[in-house]
Amino acid sequence: MTDLTQPRPVTAPVRRSSGLFGIDLASPRHARKLGYLLLLPAVLLILGILVYPMLLAIEISFHDVKFATLSFGASEYTLKNYVKLFASSDFWNAIGVSAKLLVVVTSISMLVGLGAALLVNQQFRGRGVARMLIALPWAIPEVVAVITWLWILDASFGVLNWMLLKLGVIGLPISWLNQPLPAFSAVTMVMVWKGFPFISIMILAGLQSIPEEYYQAARVDGANVWKRFIWITLPCLMPVLGVSLVLTVLWVFRDFSIINVLTGGGPVGATETLAIMTYEEAFSFFRMGYASALGVVTLVICALISAFLVKKTSHAVF
Amino acid sequence: MKRKLWQSILLYATVIVACAVVLFPVYWMVVTSLQPPGSLRAYPPHFLPPDPQWQTYIRLFIETDILRWMANSAIVAVAATGISMVAAVLAGYSLSRYQTKSSENVGLFILMSKMLPATMLIIPLFGIMRSLGLMGSLWSLIFAHATAIVPFATWMLKGYFDSIPNELEQAAQVDGCTPWGALFRVILPVAAPGLAATSLYGFVLSWADYLFARTFLANNADSWTVNLGIATFKGEYQTDWNLVMAASLLAALPIMIAYLFLQRFLVGGMTAGAGK
Repeated sequence: MTDLTQPRPVTAPVRRSSGLFGIDLASPRHARKLGYLLLLPAVLLILGILVYPMLLAIEISFHDVKFATLSFGASEYTLKNYVKLFASSDFWNAIGVSAKLLVVVTSISMLVGLGAALLVNQQFRGRGVARMLIALPWAIPEVVAVITWLWILDASFGVLNWMLLKLGVIGLPISWLNQPLPAFSAVTMVMVWKGFPFISIMILAGLQSIPEEYYQAARVDGANVWKRFIWITLPCLMPVLGVSLVLTVLWVFRDFSIINVLTGGGPVGATETLAIMTYEEAFSFFRMGYASALGVVTLVICALISAFLVKKTSHAVF
Repeated sequence: MKRKLWQSILLYATVIVACAVVLFPVYWMVVTSLQPPGSLRAYPPHFLPPDPQWQTYIRLFIETDILRWMANSAIVAVAATGISMVAAVLAGYSLSRYQTKSSENVGLFILMSKMLPATMLIIPLFGIMRSLGLMGSLWSLIFAHATAIVPFATWMLKGYFDSIPNELEQAAQVDGCTPWGALFRVILPVAAPGLAATSLYGFVLSWADYLFARTFLANNADSWTVNLGIATFKGEYQTDWNLVMAASLLAALPIMIAYLFLQRFLVGGMTAGAGK
């Protein structure tokens, strides 16, 4: 307030391009302090519960720790966990399952998400309700969703087998969770059902921000529906598609609840992703060091994938 | 642009079929919960229960601890959302107004926090919670959830604050508001839809958690959250699908209701940071 009446000090930093600082507070220095002060609670939470545990996990991965304890400091550093990891066939199996799941679930979810968003973006009566309902699975907790699907997929009395038999798609009931390929399909089905609404919500918001004039102009120029989609809708959606893709990929890669409750990683490792294997090693076998090494490898892969994706879509994402 | 009749019919048919397919599991949850035990295994299955059994829900309240589980989930979700909203409002405001240049780095940081596998973090957190004596306590969950919510919530709120012109606070401060006053009396009321969307996002995230609850609370049945309770309960009552589905429906209901009310805000909120 006072600085409105006082002449500005000659030393006032002219470097600042925006007029945000100087005017609002007594001095720019204080404004900056306030800015950092405001960040403090979030930073403390993140340091305490994300960064510190992450560093600790990296440290544990270099120790031969068998139990869930923090008193591993005395033991010596070792590469044993990583050596064992890269020699383990379970590990390579988990990498393969994660990669397969990633490609299948992400591509189907993106397509379904895009289709659903385009559908409820049309003009029709009851559009608001349709928008609300089609994204409802987003709001259903993963465990609840999976338990419901367990009943739908039940081998003897499940409604899905009944429908498929009735439609003549299958000749005999499928025992969904006891064979590798059906179990993998079941995981895919549940993940797509749970995952596509988020993508739809994002894409719908993207669609709504495309100016109607673009389409009108294209129509005047004689572009048909397909051409309008390719040349207007898709390019305008690129930022949103990029963000959705990265978030979906990371979700599939790290998800625990769906697979744990649905198949527990079975049968014979057919749905055992890196995340599932990490948890099993840590809390079923109490091999904390080994599990941490697995976690670190998962983190590195996540970082590489998102670095790649962000680069590909970087002009669009941030 | 008038649609032809067949186009309208096709459009409505597609919408109805799509909604029916997507909502079928929810419908099946409701129908199964009302089915008398004898007709659960009927062939062909009953798509409308001939004789709805509302007492399944009464049995659920008497035989299980579902109400306590739901109360625990609610306590955790409210507390975690509250804590994370305070942190995220301040941080999002700071990023929008004071650290305008670093926002690209912040975007990357948020992405990084999304990359950390929770299954890795939980190994050291297990040790940390144990040495703090928080094992089996709802506090362990509250802090873990709050931290999981903060990065994305900050990003969403920053997007909202960016859309509010600076002149608004400047005017307030010329009128004698402190920077705090400007934030609380001017900016937050304007950002109310954003706050609603972000809170809903936080609440949904916390309510849905299973990993942290399972790891921190498994030994103390009094503090189980609804997901942990239902997953365990499903193991015990293998074949009582009507009871299991009734419990599942109750667990999903609060979130579904909140979603139906706040869905309008959510659409804008999630993309506020990203879609610019």
